[in-house]
Amino acid sequence: MGRRRVFWRRVVVTVSSGLKGLGAFFGSLVHESARADKISRARHRSFIASHLMGGLLALCVFPLYLGFMGRPSALPAIAFVWLMSPIAIAWFLSKTGRLGAAHLMSAGNLGALVTFAAAITGGVSSFLLPWMIVVPLEGALSSNRKVVLCAIAIAALGVLALIVGAVFNLLPQPLAFSTDPAILALVGSLSAILYAGGLAISVQIVHEQAEDAIREGETRYRLLAENATDLITRHAPGGDVVLASPAAQHLAGVEPDDLLGKGLFDRIHTGDRPAYMSALSDSIAQDRQAAVEFRLRSEAGEGLEAGYKWVEMRCRPVADDQSDERELVAITRDISEQKAQQVELLKARDEAESASRAKTQFLANMSHELRTPLNAIIGFSDILDRELFGPIGEARYRDYSRLINESGEHLLSVVNGILDMSKIEAGKFDIVAEPFDVAELVHSCKELMHNVAERKSIEIITQSALNLPEVVADKRACKQILINLLSNAVKFTDEGGWVKIDARQEGDMLELAVSDNGIGIAREDLSKLGNPFVQAESSYARNYEGTGLGLSLVKGLAQLHGGETDIESEQGVGTVVTIRLPLECASSRQPEPEGAEKPKKLRLVAGA
Amino acid sequence: MQALSLGWPAGLGGMEYSDEFSDQTTDESVVTGAMTKTVLIVEDNELNMKLFHDLLDAHGYDTLQTRNGMEALELAREHKPDLILMDIQLPEVSGLEVTKWLKDDDELRAIPVIAVTAFAMKGDEERIREGGCEAYISKPISVATFIETVRQFIGEP
Repeated sequence: MGRRRVFWRRVVVTVSSGLKGLGAFFGSLVHESARADKISRARHRSFIASHLMGGLLALCVFPLYLGFMGRPSALPAIAFVWLMSPIAIAWFLSKTGRLGAAHLMSAGNLGALVTFAAAITGGVSSFLLPWMIVVPLEGALSSNRKVVLCAIAIAALGVLALIVGAVFNLLPQPLAFSTDPAILALVGSLSAILYAGGLAISVQIVHEQAEDAIREGETRYRLLAENATDLITRHAPGGDVVLASPAAQHLAGVEPDDLLGKGLFDRIHTGDRPAYMSALSDSIAQDRQAAVEFRLRSEAGEGLEAGYKWVEMRCRPVADDQSDERELVAITRDISEQKAQQVELLKARDEAESASRAKTQFLANMSHELRTPLNAIIGFSDILDRELFGPIGEARYRDYSRLINESGEHLLSVVNGILDMSKIEAGKFDIVAEPFDVAELVHSCKELMHNVAERKSIEIITQSALNLPEVVADKRACKQILINLLSNAVKFTDEGGWVKIDARQEGDMLELAVSDNGIGIAREDLSKLGNPFVQAESSYARNYEGTGLGLSLVKGLAQLHGGETDIESEQGVGTVVTIRLPLECASSRQPEPEGAEKPKKLRLVAGA
Repeated sequence: MQALSLGWPAGLGGMEYSDEFSDQTTDESVVTGAMTKTVLIVEDNELNMKLFHDLLDAHGYDTLQTRNGMEALELAREHKPDLILMDIQLPEVSGLEVTKWLKDDDELRAIPVIAVTAFAMKGDEERIREGGCEAYISKPISVATFIETVRQFIGEP
């Protein structure tokens, strides 16, 4: 048993590989022009195969005929040669690639052959006549109507010729067969049926391959549509969605069916609907591609947040000649990231512009603040130079020289402020920590401000806690902080008001608060304060002189100490500026204390 | 610099007043010597105020002084000075605002206003002149130019 099975298996393998080889051989005979397209390649191959095989079969049968019937007379010999003619037709197709012509030749050849064979075997009553039916079938393989019609005509002509031949007695004496006529009829019919069956199967195979090819194409497109992350929709001329791809899930978190009809439209942001509609109608009216960006509402889903997202839709009319009403095909994609980038870019641009404006403002302020003391310096010295009030020695000249000196000092303090600020900005302001007594510092600052305050009848009150510890910090910087805060307070407090300094310990921090009952700061200006060179009001209507540097310096210096600045203010009531500094501050040459913000964070930007 | 434009009155071209102003100088030249010329100084910086006062005083002009824009308008109404020197950055209201009020007032618009200001960036002069000031002197001043400009407007005291 085992051995026999192995034998058959071997036969099957041999035969199938032989067939495969044969298939490849026939494939190689297909004309170049038909190789690219799968369906026409299959047609050519099947034509060549069947004709070659048919011809070769006749070649093989011939010796058998010789064996049974002996040496043939002339007519059967011609019939056999004729039977081998398909080889030539196959060769023709292989060389020219003209399938229609080959089918026509084949049908004509077969028709003529059958007519001839029938004529010598009894005419209309010949047992070979059923073969005439095969002729149109042969034509059917071409899938070419003209060829089919010609094949029908050929078959009809053949039958007509036989009838005419019989009527006018033109047909030769039928060949004499020793076999029973019934068997002959059976052989004739059966062979015709088998051949026709073979043809029918060929037709079916070609048809099947064509369908496969179409289905494959469709599958490929469907795969594209189903796996694309972009939504593909088809729209009726009115805009209604008639087809939506599964990317609906990806884009809007809904089933494709939910977008049908007005489903997509309803998800578009109301403000963007006109743009959407005009894109669709423009596209149809002008027969061109149109693009539109709109916000699409999506449901929460996998990797999706509920809410509006920016999408871009490109649509174009469908190239379809069969209908007057043009439909649209649209591709919609998520562009929220690009939009976000755009927004970022705009923000960055605005920030840059704002920084640039702040710098321009800064320059204008600096120019103003430097020119004001310079005016006194140059003006008074000009008077001295011209001896406008008589020769040098006049008493008032002494007064002028004092004013020049005073203005020079003021100018110097402005310049120093600018330099300090730019040092802090560049991170080059070195904190030199040393221990000192806070109460003493407060006292000395109060003394320094005394004259200025007295001129405006402003009282400076100090309220230092008794047990203030020694502080380790940059004494010069702390002094500057206090002086700046005090002079601001005095500047922005009306005559007869008060300014108060509080100093106390809060945990391991020193708290210095300078309060006043001055004009206060508007809420909207509070956030801007402390940005270098920005005074609360920046216009010609600026009420108070000053570079706006004071508070920036205070903030910057406090930060360098690892401390912080806090401003509270109410318009018309007063302002409290509180500075908190660590009791033990490290010098900037040593490792920075934790939480200390680097001076680089200070930026020349107005507004937060 | 955008905020700056808020302070300027629109449609008040300096040229509009130039005719009346030249009438004024003609009138003044007729009455020269009859009475002392008075200059109103609007300036919030003490030292600069002293400087301007001393210069004008030395050249024989009378002066009125204020560091406040509101008061400037009252003084102008009360004393009808021959000339106003206007600082632009002032407490409460800007010099430009005060100038606009002056120029909107039928009785006061004939008084020439010279802006004397530390706003000396590009474009400041144009804007200040557009704001109604007849002349512009930037700080720091030159004594000669300052006196020359004053003379141009109201002649010798």
